[in-house]
Amino acid sequence: MAQIELKSLSKSFKTGKVLDRLNLTVEQGEIVCIFGPSGAGKTVLLRLIAGIEEPDEGAIYLEGRDVTDAAPETRGVGIAFQNFALFPHMTAFDNIGSALTARGASASTIKAKVEKVAAMLKISHVLSHAPRALSNGQKQRTALARALAADPKIVLLDDPLRNVDAKLRYEMRLELPPLLRASGATVLYVTQDYKEAMAIGDRIAVLIGGRFEQVATPAAIYRAPASVGVARLFGDPTINLIPVKPRATDAGAACEISGATVPLGGAHPESAGRAVLLGLRPESLIVAGEPGADRFPVDVVAVTPLNEKSVLLMRTHDGREIFASEAEVENEPRQPGPAFARFDPARALMFDEASGARIGGRA
Amino acid sequence: MEHTSFAERILRGALIAAILAFFLFPILWIFLMSFQTNEEVLRIPPSLFFKPTMINYASLITGKLQTAAGSLDLAFMLNLWNSVLLSTLSVAVSLLLGVPAAYAFARFKFPGSEDIAFTLLSFRFAPPLLVLLPLSLYYQAIGLTDTYIGLIWVYQLIALPLILWIVRGYFEDISPDIEYAYRIAGHSWLQTFMRIAIPLARPGIAAAGLLAFIFCWNNFVFALILASADKQPVTVGALAFVTASGIQYGQIAAAIVLSITPTLALALYAQRYLVEGLSLGAVKG
Amino acid sequence: MNAGVKVLGAGTMNDIALSLAGVDKIYAPMAKKPVHAVMALDLDVRKGEIIALLGSSGCGKTSTLRMIAGFESVTNGTITLLGRRIEQLAPARRGVAMAFEGYSLYPPLTVRDNIAFALKAAKFSARDADKAVKEVAALVEIEPILDRYPSSISGGQQQRASLARALVRPADLYLLDEPMGQLEPRLRALLRGRLKQLLSERHMTSIFVTHDQTEANALADRVAVMEGGVLQQLANQTELKERPANVFVATFIGEPPMNVFDAKVEVGERVRFVVENGPQLDFSANEFSEAARREIAKRPRVTIGVRPHDVRLNAGSNEARVVSNQWLGDQSHLGLEVADKLMVAVAFSEVGAARGENLRYDILGAKLHVFDADSGKAVSHGAAAA
Repeated sequence: MAQIELKSLSKSFKTGKVLDRLNLTVEQGEIVCIFGPSGAGKTVLLRLIAGIEEPDEGAIYLEGRDVTDAAPETRGVGIAFQNFALFPHMTAFDNIGSALTARGASASTIKAKVEKVAAMLKISHVLSHAPRALSNGQKQRTALARALAADPKIVLLDDPLRNVDAKLRYEMRLELPPLLRASGATVLYVTQDYKEAMAIGDRIAVLIGGRFEQVATPAAIYRAPASVGVARLFGDPTINLIPVKPRATDAGAACEISGATVPLGGAHPESAGRAVLLGLRPESLIVAGEPGADRFPVDVVAVTPLNEKSVLLMRTHDGREIFASEAEVENEPRQPGPAFARFDPARALMFDEASGARIGGRA
Repeated sequence: MEHTSFAERILRGALIAAILAFFLFPILWIFLMSFQTNEEVLRIPPSLFFKPTMINYASLITGKLQTAAGSLDLAFMLNLWNSVLLSTLSVAVSLLLGVPAAYAFARFKFPGSEDIAFTLLSFRFAPPLLVLLPLSLYYQAIGLTDTYIGLIWVYQLIALPLILWIVRGYFEDISPDIEYAYRIAGHSWLQTFMRIAIPLARPGIAAAGLLAFIFCWNNFVFALILASADKQPVTVGALAFVTASGIQYGQIAAAIVLSITPTLALALYAQRYLVEGLSLGAVKG
Repeated sequence: MNAGVKVLGAGTMNDIALSLAGVDKIYAPMAKKPVHAVMALDLDVRKGEIIALLGSSGCGKTSTLRMIAGFESVTNGTITLLGRRIEQLAPARRGVAMAFEGYSLYPPLTVRDNIAFALKAAKFSARDADKAVKEVAALVEIEPILDRYPSSISGGQQQRASLARALVRPADLYLLDEPMGQLEPRLRALLRGRLKQLLSERHMTSIFVTHDQTEANALADRVAVMEGGVLQQLANQTELKERPANVFVATFIGEPPMNVFDAKVEVGERVRFVVENGPQLDFSANEFSEAARREIAKRPRVTIGVRPHDVRLNAGSNEARVVSNQWLGDQSHLGLEVADKLMVAVAFSEVGAARGENLRYDILGAKLHVFDADSGKAVSHGAAAA
């Protein structure tokens, strides 16, 4: 039985339609990351599931029960808000234990469970403090602890690591998934950081323009994004999209890039004759000094460091800016100047230029 | 910023002292007057140094006023008790009605909510005399003249708008997510109202209650018209000091000091709850 | 935009534009617990240089910026801009332009008028002002909303308008307080590039405050890392990364942060670090210079550090249990259990190690950083002494 089921869920505000007939099924124990650009409606979705907002149409099933009209206190979920929403007049301890007191748990049970989750999130030393005495990172972890303390079957987390400082955020990004899995809860995790989504989610539901453009495992989304919109959101620097019109040759398809004809071999045969966008991830572009039959000429304009990699800003002959990224090689830092770029056609992505949808050709 | 020069600081200090003197001096003078006999009060030139006497307080408390023409009965203590009773009960009723109403106005945007709220506020704008004549006729018709209940009901015109408007603002300042978090944790709407909304709005409720108390206490006109001797509060009762044999300044001063004391004490006590920092730290900011 | 720059300072003989000497900021000096927000800060900024004040919240970077702008008084010390002492002057008389973290646009004026405000005050002609406004609006991508009012635009747009307002003014120094904090990642990356180009081309001396390293790395010529009111290190990005002055800078700079461990030292034929509750790292003596060896040998205990990208996997003789293995599209982030802590390792390929498995790892002497165990100051970076 699926733990969470959304059927044709829609929600509009005065500003327009935010969620458009969403469907989603989440199995028990799964961690599904809801990912999308800001303003996409991710927080609204969580609020609908929690019962804070009412959908305009559609239904929500939690643990097989139809809760679309149910009051929030009957839904049995745990939630961590993006703006914390801690109870300012209670200590962190009482904040975390609030779901347990609602269920009438004994004082000793409450103490045990609160201390356990506080230890997991490394906030045991601030349990007796009031929210105003906590740093932003501690507040966020307290909100997270509050969501988890009563062992709810369904947990809704709205960007819980956003305000945690970098060092702690990395630790938590590595430790949170095993922690959540150990609790056995079904988790919906909202984030704006694609790396976080890939690190934490068993599956990622990509929300763009009020619809789920793709719901798949992180690997599938990165290697086989359903559309240009999805491809753009995953990857740093962003994927290069070059409009080309491949044509069929005896040796397979080939396309014109930067004034050179680049063969695609056996890959993407269905792209011949169509106006497509060639999607090349920066890490898949290999920059070399000598020309060749499989490469196109570029001008390396700038080399900037980005987290242990070098990002090359390059221009093609028609003035298009594209990025390549390579691991920093210490002894020969790359210099700006003319060069040649090549790629493995099997790793390239093809998107229909008009619709943005990906065209086959890749496993 | 801190670029003030020495001269500016001297000027600032002098100005503050002058303003304080302007406002506090009359109160100080009345306090001193309450310990003087009538003769000392009227002495010219007035002096800050005198031999204090408790005769004014004594006559108020015992209820007997010694004047040149003889002894007079004073109902001051009864008036004081009426003031306490009327103000306290009026504020209690207005809080009981006003706080939930304020919550409704803050959280639920129902059609016409702004108009209704403004109408309720407008009661503060209208001069009481406007409604007094028709009100006294109605009260006579339904037999509410000269009753505590009648007065408390009328006092709602003073207290309710205050409670509504001040407390609504405080409820609006509480992030709704805090209440949602409590409800999602499993608590009902009522539990959330009692344990989250009200405690967080407590400074506002205390401030509004205090203000309402003061305004009810100071009210003159309603009690004058709608109550008779044994229900009158101190505001009306003070008229008794204007006797045929002269104005008893000493007693008036003592009466004023005694009248201010409850409201002053209440303000000092409630000060604790008027501390800033309603939702400080609980919501990301 | 700077066509009518009026240089307000007397000018300096050398190329230093801004100089802070011994600057302290103490809040509530008379209270029981005064807050010493900035301690004895010395900072020199060259003309046309872009400096980032980088640190976590509460480190003193914003207080420093506000002191330079004139919104906070200086408790001790001096601030000199182009030869003029400015720490006692009112903000308007310092020749400084500032973009605030809290947008602070004037509500009754349109975005266009907000941006042009200072230009009109500086007696720009209507045509020049208009041109300058259009230019800077294009830079921050707010041309479509120039005629809207602040209350009707989003937080990100307000922030960009505030930034535009500061940049359009002719000034001797530009101060930017977390100028892009409200913007989403893609817009940030775009504006960073354009801002860097603008500031560099026009030699605008600027200081900006940020807690985001990527921003500091991309925009700044040099970065001032601050913590607890104290300047930890002022250097360019390469120095900060390869030769951090202390443990704080070492663990603050770099994403993911450097892994650090406490270790006992044995220096003899080999140089050996015995990590408490952890592995033994053995190096031959000639992996370190003589000076480095000497410094290391002086200390029985040290703190050693290695960056996640420098941990070599599937090599060497050390083994650790894999706690997590996350593939992020172009790199793997692994968490290995070392010395009861989590050691983070990053590889640019997929690593076939499942959770719970043991994985071999190796650390080269050339990639090892050694710090004093008590003071945290750097002792050696790779082969060379600090």
